[in-house]
Amino acid sequence: MTQALNSSSPARIVTKVRPRGLRPVTIVSLVVMAAISAMSLFVDGYTLSSYRDVLLLALFALSLDIFWGRTGILSFGHATFFGLGAYGMAVTTIRFGIDPAWASLAGLAVGVGGAAVVAAIVGFFILYGGVRGAYFTIVTLALTIIANQIAVGWSEVTGGDSGLIGVPPFAAFGLSFDDPVYGFYLAFGFLAIFLFLSLWILGGRTGLVLAAIRDDEIKARTLGYRTQFILLATFVISAAIAGLAGAVYATGSGFVAPDLIAILLSTEVIVWVAVGGSGTLIGPVIGTIVVWQLQDRISSINYAAWPVAIGLFFILLVLVFPDGLPAYVVRLAQKLRGAMGRQS
Amino acid sequence: MHMALSMLLNSLTLISILLIVSMGLAIIFGLMNIINLAHGEFVTIGAFTLVAVQAHGGSFWLGLVVAPVVGYVFGLVLERLLISRVAKNPLHAILVTWGLSLLIQQVLQLTFGPEPQRVTGPFSGSMSLGDFQYPAYRIFLVAFSFAAFAIVTVALRKSRFGLDLRASIQSAEMSSVMGVDPNRTNARAFALGAALASVAGVLIAPLTAVTAFMGVNYLARSFFVVLVGGAGSIGGVAAGSTIIGGLETVLTYQIPPTVAQASVLAVAIIILRFRPRGILPA
Repeated sequence: MTQALNSSSPARIVTKVRPRGLRPVTIVSLVVMAAISAMSLFVDGYTLSSYRDVLLLALFALSLDIFWGRTGILSFGHATFFGLGAYGMAVTTIRFGIDPAWASLAGLAVGVGGAAVVAAIVGFFILYGGVRGAYFTIVTLALTIIANQIAVGWSEVTGGDSGLIGVPPFAAFGLSFDDPVYGFYLAFGFLAIFLFLSLWILGGRTGLVLAAIRDDEIKARTLGYRTQFILLATFVISAAIAGLAGAVYATGSGFVAPDLIAILLSTEVIVWVAVGGSGTLIGPVIGTIVVWQLQDRISSINYAAWPVAIGLFFILLVLVFPDGLPAYVVRLAQKLRGAMGRQS
Repeated sequence: MHMALSMLLNSLTLISILLIVSMGLAIIFGLMNIINLAHGEFVTIGAFTLVAVQAHGGSFWLGLVVAPVVGYVFGLVLERLLISRVAKNPLHAILVTWGLSLLIQQVLQLTFGPEPQRVTGPFSGSMSLGDFQYPAYRIFLVAFSFAAFAIVTVALRKSRFGLDLRASIQSAEMSSVMGVDPNRTNARAFALGAALASVAGVLIAPLTAVTAFMGVNYLARSFFVVLVGGAGSIGGVAAGSTIIGGLETVLTYQIPPTVAQASVLAVAIIILRFRPRGILPA
């Protein structure tokens, strides 16, 4: 949770940005993604389509981590972009009567474009206005509230409280992803592309620049980096990926409802990232899968139990594991190893 | 003429509600710099205190007296148990208070049930200004809020507690050397903020549906009031409430209420772009 870089070793002169060989996080990512890709061999259609949704939510968590994990600025409004993607897809495919062969691609363009444009406008006003840190979080929180009100209130377009039903399955270039296995691999493909792309890009120079901005924005600006533009670009890219996840999610489930653009979803995605460890990119993917399993069990006990569990989780997270769960587990393991070492 | 008068009075109603909710937040967020995302739930707690009081045969006035006490005690306990531990780290404060807000919502919903609660206001009639009729309760609400705002403003300027608070915010170290206990001051200030929000909850209750989730409506707005007005200044709360509340009411006459609320928050974001420290910075 707190930025680990503050406590890391004193600055070294970095001559080679990209270390040779694979980094541990890349190896973990390869193993996890390989395990996920083999899943279609073991589970049946229905479970596979619910895992398709989980993979898209994991992509959504990854998009938040690209911004929050790397810039240290928490966005409480990422559900806005996921929801814009989903509603963009639904409204385009249902309301406009576009040729079915192109409807999904048009919906994708509207969804992703809508999320990116809203992020660019809002981001321009607040990031260039110097709004940072906690203030940014509040403004993005308000953004989700606004977006939710519009989704509920503007019922001629969005279907109001009941949402829109009948989003066609994703289809492009003559391929239809109606079948659960195809749908699963569509989601898997998007997740894999963006996971490895972001690992590669953020593992290099761009990642270092973002870390510099996170640690001391004024210093980074003095060194000649256009920090406001870099932050805005990261925010827009992150929002566009969230929009993409939302758009594909809508084609999978076939309907959209205002809870895809609500505060609770913004909150849940923070939980997924925090459980997996923010800034690690693969962590949020694992976090989403783990928490989703948990949510499934807890919600089946009682409908109200899940918000209570999230509430307690946040309080515990801060009081017991202030550096995030993975750091806590690592420290616990080190302590155990130390204790064992003394005994032998 | 009537239209203008009713627009003015409706604006004043919303402005005075925002004034009290945001004054609590101005102390907690503006002065103490704690991001309290459970502030909306303090409003809800006030409204539900009134529901509980009236369910036991008490009057509105009893509720108006009991609610700030409940809010104050709740705020005091909360500050000691949780908030004081996270006050230094904004991200931790955000997560803890948000978790708290989810918990409070669910506990209230489990206790009182999901259906909206009904409360009765103290006045049912309307007052006439010339040949213009306006609900008496709303006029009371406006007068009460402005009086409360004036009292708290004077109290923060003139009382010993106000002095302690301002001193310990400027420098906790220096003021503790001078004999001001910063822990105690912070706890009391946080509790005061919670008590003000609870009073606002009682005042809102007769005008709206009382549900466990009603606080969310006031959370974003009150943060914007404080940000637009200028964090750290009580005068800014008046300016911020006037802009946010006034604009929203006027727009509601032209466009649907949800779109009006959305446009007001959009305007607030634009104002922040050009005056990042608010209209009347401290």
